[in-house]
Amino acid sequence: MSVQTPITMRPPVAPVPLRQDFLGGLFVTAVAVLAYWLAADLPAGTLGGMGPGMMPKALALLLGALGLTLLFGSLWHFGERIRRWSIRGPVFVFGAMIAFGLTVRPLGLVVAGPLAMMIGALASDEVRWGETIVSVALTSAFCVGLFKLALGLPIPLAPWLIGY
Amino acid sequence: MLDLIGHLGLGFSTAFSPTNLGLCFLGCLVGTLIGVLPGVGPIATIAMLLPLTFKVDPTGALIMLAGIYYGAQYGGSTTAILVNIPGEATAVVTTLDGHQMARKGQAGIALGIAAISSFIAGSIATLVVAAVGAPLTKLALLFGPAEYFGLMVLGLGLAVVLAQGSVLKAVIMVVFGLVLSTVGTDLETGDERLTLGFAALSDGIDFAVLAMGVFGIAEVLRNIENPEARGVVKGAIGRLLPSAADLRRSLGPILRGTGLGAALGILPGNGAVLAPFASYTLEKKLADEPSRFGLGAIEGVAGPEAANNAGAQTAFIPLLTLGIPPNAVMALMVGAMTIHGVIPGPLVMTRNAPLFWGMVASMWIGNLMLLIINLPLVGVWVRLLKVPYRLLYNIILLFCCIGIYSVNNNPADVFFTAVFGGVGYVLIKLGLEPAPMLLGFVLGRLMEEKLRQALALSDGSFMTFVERPLSAGLIVCALVVMLIAILPAVTRSREKVFQE
Repeated sequence: MSVQTPITMRPPVAPVPLRQDFLGGLFVTAVAVLAYWLAADLPAGTLGGMGPGMMPKALALLLGALGLTLLFGSLWHFGERIRRWSIRGPVFVFGAMIAFGLTVRPLGLVVAGPLAMMIGALASDEVRWGETIVSVALTSAFCVGLFKLALGLPIPLAPWLIGY
Repeated sequence: MLDLIGHLGLGFSTAFSPTNLGLCFLGCLVGTLIGVLPGVGPIATIAMLLPLTFKVDPTGALIMLAGIYYGAQYGGSTTAILVNIPGEATAVVTTLDGHQMARKGQAGIALGIAAISSFIAGSIATLVVAAVGAPLTKLALLFGPAEYFGLMVLGLGLAVVLAQGSVLKAVIMVVFGLVLSTVGTDLETGDERLTLGFAALSDGIDFAVLAMGVFGIAEVLRNIENPEARGVVKGAIGRLLPSAADLRRSLGPILRGTGLGAALGILPGNGAVLAPFASYTLEKKLADEPSRFGLGAIEGVAGPEAANNAGAQTAFIPLLTLGIPPNAVMALMVGAMTIHGVIPGPLVMTRNAPLFWGMVASMWIGNLMLLIINLPLVGVWVRLLKVPYRLLYNIILLFCCIGIYSVNNNPADVFFTAVFGGVGYVLIKLGLEPAPMLLGFVLGRLMEEKLRQALALSDGSFMTFVERPLSAGLIVCALVVMLIAILPAVTRSREKVFQE
C-alpha cells in the first residue's frame, strides 16, 4: 500500500512525458495496437457465428480506447511522477533465468542451479561473495534433495556425468 | 442434514488415510516454509510448488495443494506480524496491529491468536462449504451459457470495485487480462491467435507462467530495489498461547470475522480480499476504545485473520460448484485439477464424490495441522526471516525457475516467465496494479466460450442476456456494481478503506 504524500509536501508537477499515467496510457495503447495488428488477418465472423478474430479485435479496440483515455486524462489530471527505474536488478534477474533455461536440459540442475544463483546474486548491489557461495551451495543441495531425490521430478540432474 | 453428515463422513474417511494425512502435512509445512519468505504470497507459492503434487493421485494432490494454500496464507500472516511485510493484499490488515503487538514483545501471542482464529474460522467455513456446496451444485445445473457469462461479468465488475487505486486503471487491467487470454489456439476453429509464431504459445499462455512472472519475479525486482526496510522483530517471541482474557476478547471478533469472510468469499471476483478490511473496520467501530487499534489491539489481529481464512476457504465454493475460479489462487487450483484430469464444475461432486468431500474434510485437517506445526515451529520461521533479503531473493529465484520448468518440463516456460516478470515490473512502475489482470486472464477463455455459445444459440441477438431472468439479474448486478464504483462518494470511501 503506497504511502500518500501529504498535500503540503506534494512535489512539483511532473512534465507530461514523466507522468505515470501518460506512460501507462502509452504502454496500454501500444499493447492494444500490437494485439489488433496480430489479429488483423483472423476472420471476425458474425455475432451469431463468431470467428476467431472477433474477441481479440473487440478487446484490443476496447483496451486501446481505455489506454487513450488514461493517456489524455494525464494531460489534465497531473497524477504521480514515474518511479525510479533500475537496470541492474532486471538485467541480472532475467540473465539468471535465461541461463537456467538454457543450461537445465543439456547440463542439468547441478550446473544450472548454481549458475543461475551466481548470476542472480549480482542483481543486488549489496552482494557479498563469501555468504553468496555458501548459500548457493546449500540451496543447490537442498533443491537436488527435495525436487530430485524426494519428489522424483523429471528434471535432469547431471546428464553429462551420470546420464540423467 | 443426514446427507451432510454422510458426506462429511466420506470426506473424513478419505482425508484420514495415512497417505492423504501425510500429504496434507507436507503441503502445510512446505507451504508455510515458502509463504514465510517475504514478498512471496500464496499465488507465487502455489505456482512454485505445483510440481510437488504431480506424482500423487488427484485426491491426494488436491489435498496437498489445499495444504500448501493454507500454509502459504499462514506464512503470509507470520511475515506480516514479524517483519511488517504483507505477503499479499489480505495480510495488509494483519500488519497494522499484529506488528505493533510484536514490537511490544507480544509476537508470540499475535502469532498464536492468528493461528487460533484461523483454525476456528476454517472449521466453521468447512461446514459452510459442505452445507452450501450441494444446493449450489443443483443451481448450477440451471445455468446456461448466458448465465455463466453474466456471472463472470459480475465477477469482473466486483474485481474492479475491489481493486486498489483508480477504477479506470482497474478496468484497463481486467481488459488487458482478457486480451492475454485470447492468445493461443481458437477453441472452435483451431486457428492460431496472437501467438507471434511461438509453438509454446499455441496452447495459450500458461497461467502458472503468467502468475509467477507477475507476482513472483516482478515482486523480487521490486524488493531488490527497496532494500531492507524490513525490521525483523528483535528479541524474544514470548509465550504463544493467549491468556484467557485475550481469548475472551477475541472470540466476538473471530466469530464476526468468520461470518464476514465466509459471506464475501463466496462472491465471484475475489470478494475475499475485502473480508479482512471489512472485519477490521467493523471491530474498530464496535470497540470500547477504538484508539487502541493500530497500537496492538488483539481484536485487530483476531477478526481480520478469521475473515481472511474463512474467505480463503469459501472461495472454493464457486470453483467446486460452478467451475468458475473467483480469484487467482483458485485459478491455479483449476490448472492443478486439469493436470490431474478433474474438470472443476458441478459434476465434480457427483462424479468424484470422494475427491470433493475428501478435499472439504482436508480443509479442516489442514487448519488443525497448521495450528499443530506452526506453534512449535515459529522459532524456525523467525530464524528464516533473519536471513537478509540479498540472499533470500536468490533462493526464491531458483525455486521459481525449478518450479516453472517442472510444470511442463519446458525450458521455454522459464523464458516466458522472465518476459512476464518484465511486464509485471513495467506495470508496477506505471502504477498499474496487476491483480485484476490475472482475474481477467483467468475468466477470459471461459467468458469467450460462453459468449459465443450464448450468441450462437440466440442467432447473434444480445437480447438473450436480458430475456433469461437469471442472466438478466446477474447482468443488472454487474452494472449496479460498476456504477457504484464510479460514484464519487464510494470512490472516496474506497480510498479510505484501502488506506487504513
